[in-house]
Amino acid sequence: MNDLAPPASGLAVPAPVELPGAAAPERRLDLLRQISSAGGTITPSANPNSEHGYTYALSGHDVDRDLEFLAAHNYLEARFFDRVSLCPKCDSHHLNVREICPSCRRAHLSAEGLLHHFACGYVGIPSEFSPTDDGSYLCPKCNRRMHHLGTEFDRLGKAFTCRGCGLISENPPVEAVCLACGARNRAEDLISALVFSYLLTSRGAAAIRRGSLFDGDDEAVIVADAPVYRRKVILEFLDNELRRLQRFKDAFSLLLVKCAPTALGSNGNQAPTEWLSRLRENLRDVDLIGQVGDALFIVILPQTKRREAESLCDRIEAALGKESPLTLSIAEITEPRDLAQALPGLTARADP
Amino acid sequence: MINGFWHYFFSTIDPISNLGFSRALPELSLSALPHWWLIVILPFVWNVLPTLILWVVYLVRPTSIRPPLPARPDQAYPLVSLVIAGRNESATIGQCIRGALLCGYPNIEVVFVDDNSDDDSVAIARRAALTAARTRKDAERVRIFPSPRRNGKASSLNIGIRMARGEFIAITDADSVIQYGSVQHWLQPFDDPHVGAVSANIRVLNMPHGLLTRLQDIEYALLFTNGRLISASLDLLNIISGMGGLFRAEILRRLYGFDTGLGDDTDMTTQIRKQRWKLGFSLGAIVWTTVPETRDHLWRQRARWRRNMIKIRVSKHRDQFVLGRYGFKNAVLACVLLIGRLLWTWSMAVGLFVVLFEFGPLYVPQLVVSFYWIFLIYLLIRALIARDLARTPQPINFALLFLYPFYLMWLRIPTLYAEGSELMRIGAKHPYVPDHVWEEIPWW
Repeated sequence: MNDLAPPASGLAVPAPVELPGAAAPERRLDLLRQISSAGGTITPSANPNSEHGYTYALSGHDVDRDLEFLAAHNYLEARFFDRVSLCPKCDSHHLNVREICPSCRRAHLSAEGLLHHFACGYVGIPSEFSPTDDGSYLCPKCNRRMHHLGTEFDRLGKAFTCRGCGLISENPPVEAVCLACGARNRAEDLISALVFSYLLTSRGAAAIRRGSLFDGDDEAVIVADAPVYRRKVILEFLDNELRRLQRFKDAFSLLLVKCAPTALGSNGNQAPTEWLSRLRENLRDVDLIGQVGDALFIVILPQTKRREAESLCDRIEAALGKESPLTLSIAEITEPRDLAQALPGLTARADP
Repeated sequence: MINGFWHYFFSTIDPISNLGFSRALPELSLSALPHWWLIVILPFVWNVLPTLILWVVYLVRPTSIRPPLPARPDQAYPLVSLVIAGRNESATIGQCIRGALLCGYPNIEVVFVDDNSDDDSVAIARRAALTAARTRKDAERVRIFPSPRRNGKASSLNIGIRMARGEFIAITDADSVIQYGSVQHWLQPFDDPHVGAVSANIRVLNMPHGLLTRLQDIEYALLFTNGRLISASLDLLNIISGMGGLFRAEILRRLYGFDTGLGDDTDMTTQIRKQRWKLGFSLGAIVWTTVPETRDHLWRQRARWRRNMIKIRVSKHRDQFVLGRYGFKNAVLACVLLIGRLLWTWSMAVGLFVVLFEFGPLYVPQLVVSFYWIFLIYLLIRALIARDLARTPQPINFALLFLYPFYLMWLRIPTLYAEGSELMRIGAKHPYVPDHVWEEIPWW
């Protein structure tokens, strides 16, 4: 069992840190295999004894950092699971959170509603109004009996009374005492860390099948901030998506990108890197671009329905402008034969 | 005809006539002529003489009127809780809270009780607390209580008093702003352990907005600043204004806070006086308040004040007229207020009608014009002294002094109406107090 990743000081996922040592790729691949054996998804489970309150049922060293690395490189998809508050001094989640008196800072508060007697205007806590034999209260100011709530007296919302100094406060500050290190922290000073569940992506599944992570230029046509994969690799990703579709009924969409011959260079096989980079900028991190023909590229849009894909397509066309040599079209893949209709002859061309 | 009027109007201050008048002064002083005593001497003794005496005292010993602030270490500043109660005050509550936090007093907390506003007063108050606070500790010094139901001002103030933790509790309106450095002056009279509450020096925040506000600036200078300074020095101060009053917290708690209904400040002041506490006035504790800018608003305010005066002083606390029950001074004060505020106004109104019927219609203008000039001269003396003592009214407003007598006469319209209707118990219910509270109030 492994603890969660180090806490983030906000809602964003911290930047992954590359661990030194030659065993890191094998270790990460092993994590992918474990997640695949667990059904493709790993969900954190609550563990009060752990440092941050949640652990993953995975074996290995530095699992948290590796999961972040794999998510950052699209082998896994991180999905929000929970948010935990941690002590800013020791990162422990063992916190005692409670309201405190704004004056004496003690937590000895009682929540009482103030009573208001209409006749004399007296305002006080209920314990100041003596109960009488007939079930009414006696006002300490005018000694009149208060029988009817709403017509003779009223409750003025909820207020906290400090048993130490007597201060009445409507909205007292919240303080968290760390049970591990004893630090007293204001609620707004606590570290807020996100907890994720992780889902194996098609890229992750492809890495498992090929027995190694994708690293380096050999799998990519171009290398910018995000890669555009060669034909063999992108078809492998496509195959994985089809498997997910068959197993989980997880429909996806394809964005077909045809490039004008003029943009392919003088020999006709040079990739339009600048336009592809601009295309990449308008996609999500989980979307995968690959070249399936000299002038044909595809973008795999996982878990994207036709309507969303069309919206995306419109946005990309607007971003690329009228001078773009790229022509975009959409195909929603809800069953394997949709792929054959969208890309006829693809299987034949995919064979080496 | 107009020339004839002006000739007639200014003939009263014709130098030749007044030369004759000055020669006749010794004879007039010894005479039993009622006009002389009623129009010249009585107003002089009532209005001008105390002001002149005060001015002479100020010239001889300035520190007796404006005592210097002693240097205090930070820990010697007692906690002052500023309680503000308001309803639908989103336009002004922000500047009120900011002014309090930035007033230069190191140990102050603010409690704002929102009386179930329909607007965004609470949100604005919270934002003001955050923007004015220099530190997080500063922001925590502001506590806001949004009432789930409308309770009226007195009950809202009581909520604030319950929440306050200061040794002293200051009360202002949500449309008022405390001037920088005022709280230190405000606390100064409490060095006398017999002082239970201190009134601030109320000044007009929106003075430049129009003729009415400028006239109110003169009125506040003469009545609220100079008048209260004189009455406080005689231990006859009759009100700690709701716009700016500082109380010992123990007194407010011992009295179980304000009574419900109208006139909370008058009522509380009377109760404190009955407990034999002294009331003080601080010239240096300046609280700027927003005064009515329209006729309707001003008339409503003055009618409410006058009705409250009768409700509280004549009806609810009528026992203070009994000599010896609450001290000689309190009985005198009650009688003076009754005569000065109520009987004087009504006798003036009735007197004018008597003169009209007895001496004919031409006699009244002559009397009124004479009285106008005498009043104006007295007014000028009082205003000049007020300016020297308290830096108010503003110099530009001296040009409006000639209108001030007309302004006072004009204000008699709502007050006479309010007094008459209150004495006859017509329309006693006021929308200031919620229905469910009004129905339970026993003394009205």
